[in-house]
Amino acid sequence: MNLAHRQLPGADKRVQLMATCLCDAFYADVARATVEVLEHLGCQVEFPEGQTCCGQPAFNGGDWPASRRVVRHTVKTFAGDLPVIVPSGSCAAMMFHGALLEFEKEPDLPEVQQLAHRTWELADFIVNALGVKTWPGKFDATIALHRACHTRGTKTCDSAVALLTSIPGIKLVTVGEVEQCCGFGGTFSVSFPNVSASMGELKLEHIRAAKPDLLVSPDMSCMMHLGGLAEKEGHPIKIQHVAQVLRDALKNAGLL
Amino acid sequence: MATQLIDQFAKNLAADTQAAVYDGSKKGHEKRTKLLFDTYADPNRLRELAGEIKQHVIENLDTFLPAVEAKLQSNGVKVHWASSAEDACAAVLGIMQARGDKKIVKSKTMVSEEIELEHYLDKHGIETLETDLGEFIVQIDHDHPSHIVKPIIHKNRREIAKSFEREGLGAYNDDPETITRRARQFLRHKYLAADVALTGANFVSVESGRMVIVTNEGNSRFCLAGTKCHIALIGIEKLVPHDRDLGLLLNLLGRSATAQQLTVYTEFISGPKSAGQPDGPEEMHVVFVDNGRTDVLASECKEILRCIRCGACLNVCPVYRQASGHAYRSVYPGPVGAVLSPLLAGKKFPELADLPKASSLCGACNEVCPVNIPIPDLLLRLREKGKREGAKLAAAGTPPMGAWSLLASQPAAWKTALFGGKIINYLPTKWLPIPPLRAWEAKRTLPEWKGGEFRSWFRNRKVGAVAPNRPDRKPESKEGR
Amino acid sequence: MNSSREQILSRVNAALAPLAQRAALPDWDREMVILRQAQGLTDAWPLFAERMKAVNGTPLTSVAELVALLEKNNWKHGYCDPALWPSLAAAFPAGFTVETTYDRTRLDDYSFGITAAAGAIAETGTLVISDRGTSSRLGALAPWVHIVVLRRNQIYHDIPAAIAALPQDPNVIWITGPSKTADVEGILIEGVHGPGKQIALLVD
Repeated sequence: MNLAHRQLPGADKRVQLMATCLCDAFYADVARATVEVLEHLGCQVEFPEGQTCCGQPAFNGGDWPASRRVVRHTVKTFAGDLPVIVPSGSCAAMMFHGALLEFEKEPDLPEVQQLAHRTWELADFIVNALGVKTWPGKFDATIALHRACHTRGTKTCDSAVALLTSIPGIKLVTVGEVEQCCGFGGTFSVSFPNVSASMGELKLEHIRAAKPDLLVSPDMSCMMHLGGLAEKEGHPIKIQHVAQVLRDALKNAGLL
Repeated sequence: MATQLIDQFAKNLAADTQAAVYDGSKKGHEKRTKLLFDTYADPNRLRELAGEIKQHVIENLDTFLPAVEAKLQSNGVKVHWASSAEDACAAVLGIMQARGDKKIVKSKTMVSEEIELEHYLDKHGIETLETDLGEFIVQIDHDHPSHIVKPIIHKNRREIAKSFEREGLGAYNDDPETITRRARQFLRHKYLAADVALTGANFVSVESGRMVIVTNEGNSRFCLAGTKCHIALIGIEKLVPHDRDLGLLLNLLGRSATAQQLTVYTEFISGPKSAGQPDGPEEMHVVFVDNGRTDVLASECKEILRCIRCGACLNVCPVYRQASGHAYRSVYPGPVGAVLSPLLAGKKFPELADLPKASSLCGACNEVCPVNIPIPDLLLRLREKGKREGAKLAAAGTPPMGAWSLLASQPAAWKTALFGGKIINYLPTKWLPIPPLRAWEAKRTLPEWKGGEFRSWFRNRKVGAVAPNRPDRKPESKEGR
Repeated sequence: MNSSREQILSRVNAALAPLAQRAALPDWDREMVILRQAQGLTDAWPLFAERMKAVNGTPLTSVAELVALLEKNNWKHGYCDPALWPSLAAAFPAGFTVETTYDRTRLDDYSFGITAAAGAIAETGTLVISDRGTSSRLGALAPWVHIVVLRRNQIYHDIPAAIAALPQDPNVIWITGPSKTADVEGILIEGVHGPGKQIALLVD
């Protein structure tokens, strides 16, 4: 992962939110929780209304011209010099790693790099940009953290673990074969439906064996797949984003 | 909606084969990880270093290849070059015909699989015998290896016992120890009756011309004790600059491949046998094989040439575990194969263009790779190549992205779609002409559509209501409202 | 064949020509690759013996021990390096047949082979043999039991030290435990083509 240089927020802590298309379409509360968490930390959150998607579906699908069209739109939409906060490991990685690959030979690579250097996944931003290493509040639950694959090689999961374990009431359980992917993989989930579902079943087995009250992830795409599989087979599991847990911990203790 | 060939292969894979591949690769991965982290404080730094060393090698092959050639020649080794599979086969045949040799005993070499040497030599009346236990079983079964390090990971003991019975190696007995002893007894006399030992090499030091061959079974040693001529088939990327680099690479290879600090036999070979030694080759040949490697070197995926063939990426790969090695329809399976095989295929790239799609891009392969190859990035580059060149196999199951990208670059249309998407909350998806959606719902439910809800909340909430005491707060951007 | 050579080298040159700069060779500290458990340990034989046992090898410190082990298992017919045999013969009682020329036509006759070490590696329990120091490649490989005669001052602490001291010899072999395979269902079986029992005999 390309994590060479990342821009820290200024004294006014103004940031831009990249809500992601999944939150825009399905997980509105995750985006809302992200705003509430950032504002609790004193950030001024701006939401560029023109935002759509990070370009990842076409990038992963091999259609780089299509992906670059979306990335160019995103670069334009998030113009400026504020840190861009993304409540998704994979969309963040698309901005600071994937986009750089597909723009390698493009004349506007510098503009894409400029955005790459400003893009942060939420938990990583809280811990490593804002220096917040513990989280107040209260949250009574046994939690399994799903390590979204696109956070490999980044500080997202260590950051999320640090924050979650510092919250009074939370017990984090270990899940078997933690390095294994849940099987989502974007379009992989529909072009490899059997392998994708088998991977998800294995992941669910490990998660259920750990007996958590709640499955938490820094990426809703994995959760959409795992939650959807579990519900389809008639044994739904409760899923949440890290941001929702952080926000609810504040609410539970009357801090929000 | 069309699905990918490898997904279909996985779906139709026999349950016991799938279980054998899954268990074998999972155990391999777990042992590897435990040993690496038990023995080293920072294994990841070692992987990065090894990757840098191998990258240095492949980017300096122009000087290293002539240098190692000169070194080998001064060590008494005859050096041959083969730009294609055909050339490599012909080189081996030429050496044997010049000597009047007829029989080969072979230690495991992936290059020989790649060039289909056995088939070629057979046509020219040369008998080849595999001596690695797994490869021997593959040979008697007329099968193909399904793993780089564990060729018969897909077979169980009962199948092997039946094969041994069929080949006259004893009455049915599926005890792994009995199987092994029978192979031992059968093969030890074959080494002595053969003319030529054929091996690959794991590394060749440019500094000293030493080639390194590692085996656990000792079959390579037996080949090199029983015969009078040694031929080594070596990919041009197998070089290391100095002997000292082997200290790092051997430690990583043993741990990554089979969870050993060192493979049992690590042989450093720099020439024909010494003068007083009664056993072993009096003549030694190295055939440097290109067979597509220079194309890879010229491509945007040259990092794959760092590969030291340990198989760790296969073991950790969730797709390999489900689909097995044969799903990849090529000599190199798994993540490394999904990159290397289509590249080595050259003009036949379209026939293997689907392999790079066989990944959720989870990155586990990169995380375990002892030479830190950025496999997911290389898979992505090959997906782009497949799309650009219109490879049909690659396209199966991937929704077209053109219309989507237009939508996603026009905010007004995007917002309309966000609100319009609510229709999926009310309509059964079988009524909707959206194949990916149906494919999704065949295995999973879809969450409730909440398109635009966040935007409404963000726009309508009272500024400062959530985080008070912030008079400096500016109103939100009005763009696109 | 020569045309292949020129073709390959010209293709390599063409492939590398566009590179603005070549990846540099990194510098690294030999300490990095040394087994964490072996760092700081300097007494070579105990470390070697412990590590060799960990890979199912058998370290012995006296000829008497060796003879007892061979007798107990009824391994009575063997091969021995002619240069080593004079110093060992006295310890072998009647009933043993030890040949100092290996006859490859009778390879199943030998149950053990005794050859000389060219070195050993403590951190991995590895024995080092070389072509010039080994009287017969087959004698060191084909019998079920292989005994390597080793002196204390031949033991290197670690792999980097053993590599730095690789002898000028066409065939140096590091042996780390007995021959083995896990090809059948991942089950470990020792003694595939090479020895099922690997012994180090310390003679000083």
